[in-house]
Amino acid sequence: MKLGEVVKGYEIITRPSNANAGKCLWAFARKEGADFFVKEYLDPKRPRPDSMGTVSDKKRRLAECRRFELHHEKLSRLLRADHLHAGNIVLAKDFFAHGTRYYKVTDRIDAADATPAELSPEDRNVLLHTLCESIALLHECGMVHGDLKPENVLLHRPEGSDLHIAKLIDFDDAYLSGEPPAADTIGGNPYYGAPEWLSYLRGDNGIRGEQLTTAVDLFALGLLIHSYLIGTAPGFPVRFDSPAAAVLAGEALELDPKLTSDWTALLASLIQVDPAKRPRIGEVLSLLNSARPPVRRAARSRVRINLTGRVPV
Amino acid sequence: MPSDQQNRTDLDYAVDIVLCVDATLSMKPTLDNVKHSALSFPGRLVQEMATKGRGIRSLRLKVIAFRDFGDRAEDALVESQFLRIPAQVDEFERTVSALGPDGGGDAPESGLEALAVAMHSDWETGLDRRRHVIVMFTDAPAHRLGDPRQTRARTYPQSVPGSLDELFALWGHAQNRGSLMENSAKRLLIFAPEEYPWADIADDWNNTLFFPSTAGEGLEEWEMDEIIATIASSL
Repeated sequence: MKLGEVVKGYEIITRPSNANAGKCLWAFARKEGADFFVKEYLDPKRPRPDSMGTVSDKKRRLAECRRFELHHEKLSRLLRADHLHAGNIVLAKDFFAHGTRYYKVTDRIDAADATPAELSPEDRNVLLHTLCESIALLHECGMVHGDLKPENVLLHRPEGSDLHIAKLIDFDDAYLSGEPPAADTIGGNPYYGAPEWLSYLRGDNGIRGEQLTTAVDLFALGLLIHSYLIGTAPGFPVRFDSPAAAVLAGEALELDPKLTSDWTALLASLIQVDPAKRPRIGEVLSLLNSARPPVRRAARSRVRINLTGRVPV
Repeated sequence: MPSDQQNRTDLDYAVDIVLCVDATLSMKPTLDNVKHSALSFPGRLVQEMATKGRGIRSLRLKVIAFRDFGDRAEDALVESQFLRIPAQVDEFERTVSALGPDGGGDAPESGLEALAVAMHSDWETGLDRRRHVIVMFTDAPAHRLGDPRQTRARTYPQSVPGSLDELFALWGHAQNRGSLMENSAKRLLIFAPEEYPWADIADDWNNTLFFPSTAGEGLEEWEMDEIIATIASSL
């Protein structure tokens, strides 16, 4: 796609970029007055009858394309936009092939220019609550997001509100719990990746795919929450490239002493090396519920924030 | 790349990048920018990767300057070895600085030959994760492979196939076993006009990013910072 091109009715209105996107190009687009986010995949490419390659080669490529389509259809079936709690999960509005390329379209979310650690406790609690509710829904569906990181959590302030909610995006690296892609193709972020993800990728200690479960997301969430509360991720010795590498080597990550004892205990559990010992997302939500500051009447917004992301009936 | 302090638990990441640079006369206005960007490349790349939490354990850069086999065989294609960064950064800088616009003859150049030679590079096969990137900078279309005006040049590389279809087979895809490059590791970034064969390649080849420029206007519409960021993002 290129600036000005119309792809299946979506007019590309920004110059496509691969910024923060290793396996695609993305741009904003407009259709019937509404703005969208459009992603163009680099792989696979769907051959045309006159494309390069032999007839049998094109058949193999078409079969690969069908597998790619089925994967996306499966994810869409598992995580439905009309699910009761899916309101803060940014799901595909459209998925299609155009020419030789595949595209995915979602709503355009205008991210707020805000730093979570600088928000008021009440605002931050809402932010974390909406993020954790979205993760809870994913995990309830048996899905691992697989690439939880700040870039995939958009801070959004609904019009007329003074509170921020989290919009969870990018499910391209998602997989069923215990059924990850092969080690050479699995996605994820080296910094936020869990120790078992890192071991799987490296082929260490005979680690198997079934050991990559929803607990992978909880390790990343532990790092994210620390950043949201304090402003930085937990500390680890500089000789390591990532928190997971440090944890795998037996080093404890350093939690900020300004954290409350409840958060310190929970985050320490989330970022431990053994995935089976990490708490489930429900425990994080419980702490958020108990830590929710009382709402001051005078400051209460007139706009109701849908904390759960639940679609109004 | 703290190789001395390498930890057993870290992810060992290898990055190989081949820069294919059109060094014909028409590139004169752009070549200085490309060179400037290439020279700042090693530092910027390591910085970008560190920001993403990806320490690069092995970074190697290679430069292929190409012109036109049909115009002048002797310097139609000049290829460096893979240069290890930072150990061989001086040699990389010397290689890039020596690029000068010259020759070219007619409008199409020998870009496909450069691409074929780049694909045959001795890519890193070890470490935990690899990224093999070919970056093509040109302001021109390319001669068709197999054109006798090109292939009869005494310096014409033996490894170049006789057609674009054969070159595509060497690029391959996820279901192809004859590929020269590892499917999950490879990326091709093309900064070129929408002319033969660049748009066709972008259409059919997987893991390829095409950033079209206006034919005859060089690569001016692409800020060099943008190009470096694009390459870094592809890692």
